[in-house]
Amino acid sequence: MAALIPNVISMKSEFIQATLETLYMTFGSAIIAAVLGLALGVWLVVTQPGGILADRVTYSILDKLTNLLRSVPFIILLAVISPLTNFLVGTTVGTTASLVPLIFGIFPFYARQVQNALLDVDHGVVEAAESMGSSPSEIIFRVYLKEGLPDIIRVSIVTVISLIGLTTMAGAIGSGGLGDIAISIGYARFENDITLVATLIILILVFAVQIIGDWLAKKVEHN
Amino acid sequence: MTANNIIELKNIDVTFHNGDQTVKAVQAVDLTIEKGDIYGIIGYSGAGKSTLVRVINLLQTPTNGTVTVNGQQLQQLAPAALRQARQKISMIFQHFNLMKSRTVLGNVEYPLLSQKISQAARQQKALQLLKLVGLADYAQTYPARLSGGQKQRVAIARALASDPEVLISDEATSALDPKTTKSILALLKKLNQDLGLTIVLITHEMQVIKSICHNVAVMDAGQIVERGRVAQVFTAPQAPLTVDFVETSTNVKAAIERITNTIDLAGLAANQELMYFNFIGNATKEGIISQYSQQYQLDVNILFANIDQIDGENVGYMIAIITGDLAAFNPAIAKRVADGVKTKIITTENGLEGLA
Repeated sequence: MAALIPNVISMKSEFIQATLETLYMTFGSAIIAAVLGLALGVWLVVTQPGGILADRVTYSILDKLTNLLRSVPFIILLAVISPLTNFLVGTTVGTTASLVPLIFGIFPFYARQVQNALLDVDHGVVEAAESMGSSPSEIIFRVYLKEGLPDIIRVSIVTVISLIGLTTMAGAIGSGGLGDIAISIGYARFENDITLVATLIILILVFAVQIIGDWLAKKVEHN
Repeated sequence: MTANNIIELKNIDVTFHNGDQTVKAVQAVDLTIEKGDIYGIIGYSGAGKSTLVRVINLLQTPTNGTVTVNGQQLQQLAPAALRQARQKISMIFQHFNLMKSRTVLGNVEYPLLSQKISQAARQQKALQLLKLVGLADYAQTYPARLSGGQKQRVAIARALASDPEVLISDEATSALDPKTTKSILALLKKLNQDLGLTIVLITHEMQVIKSICHNVAVMDAGQIVERGRVAQVFTAPQAPLTVDFVETSTNVKAAIERITNTIDLAGLAANQELMYFNFIGNATKEGIISQYSQQYQLDVNILFANIDQIDGENVGYMIAIITGDLAAFNPAIAKRVADGVKTKIITTENGLEGLA
């Protein structure tokens, strides 16, 4: 083992630290991005033409805003958003500071995914709920989010996996994490075993998210 | 509005704008439905039936006109009051529209979720309704495991959960096979009789109207072209579309096509004619053809005959080649119109248009 990955063995504690940082960045930003993304996704669906609270102007603004936020490349977003990060967190570098760009980098993407998932909810069921006297909030919580849950879980998996990808770039603002180890140590010092093991741990995280997510989606689906 | 009218639509227009296109889905429709009635609206797809029934619970806001249900003018209600009113106007759909994330019981409980009753009371009521539609054993099953007929029964139980006054059926049997259709219609009829539920149903099948409706409106291109008691409308259809529905449902239309395709009408002898006879009521019990054939020395070669019952009234249809003294027979039988006998000479040009 020591012969195969000599540098990793000597940096065991750094690896554990980096893995925890990646998990913290992924799930810390995921929780907040989930709330924002769900809210925006639902808002898009209900205000779009033919929706239960159809509103052309609101929809058009939200739609364009979502596209705009999604078009900023993440590595640039990390820098561009720093004044806001400073305002919210009090610093622009470090693991916690990276949560702000991660949230803004992922939630518009998640909102779009949620929008698509909810659009797959049978319009007839929504109409049936309306005919039974359900209010818009009842339709959102009891119909859209409940009927759309399996798909929402599926798009959440895709989103979390993308998010793990984004955390590796956050090393550019001193966030630490597995991406940072792979680049600033493995790549910079030509210690290839470090890059390789960092990649492996990321793959394991991705597979774990995929497996748990698939299992959950299957559990709530009754097709 | 008289106390007996539960639904009154006045001068309803529904106009859709799609870019530059303007579609008048419903035009100047007045519709009054009495409490306890089973009212059928029949028409081909695109006639505006679905749009019209969606006006009744304001799922579709009319461009013009007033909607009064249960004495409330719905357009004047605030959103919360409208939702309250909608709970008394239930609806069932062609594709059932059940929630697949909820069990059968959960689906039936759904309308009760917004009411202030305990979970136990809610479940008990839902279970009772499932018993009523004969599906109590399926309470914990998910809709995906049910057949079409079972799904529609669950949808009916769900529709009843809010103790509605009116049930709107939007092509509820159109996705079901004939046997299941029959059982669903029987259930609707039972609900109408036992609960006094007013039912408004739309369909493109005359069989559905004939088997349970008391009154019918025939819709074409957004307008009601004919309406009245089912027996009256279907035994003496006036509008061409109504005639078409009657002839399709009694197979007369298919028979005429078959006969005119196989018989060379031009090749008939001078003393021969292909005739269509329609007998209503008492005329179906008399031996009219045999009387006349003896009196006028006619030969009658029957090519098609059918007898149908519409709301308890017998209606007969016959197509035959008559050979003999037509100059005397034709005026004689034409005089029997008042007794419920109608005839028509079929030629290649007219087919069946404009039956006298």
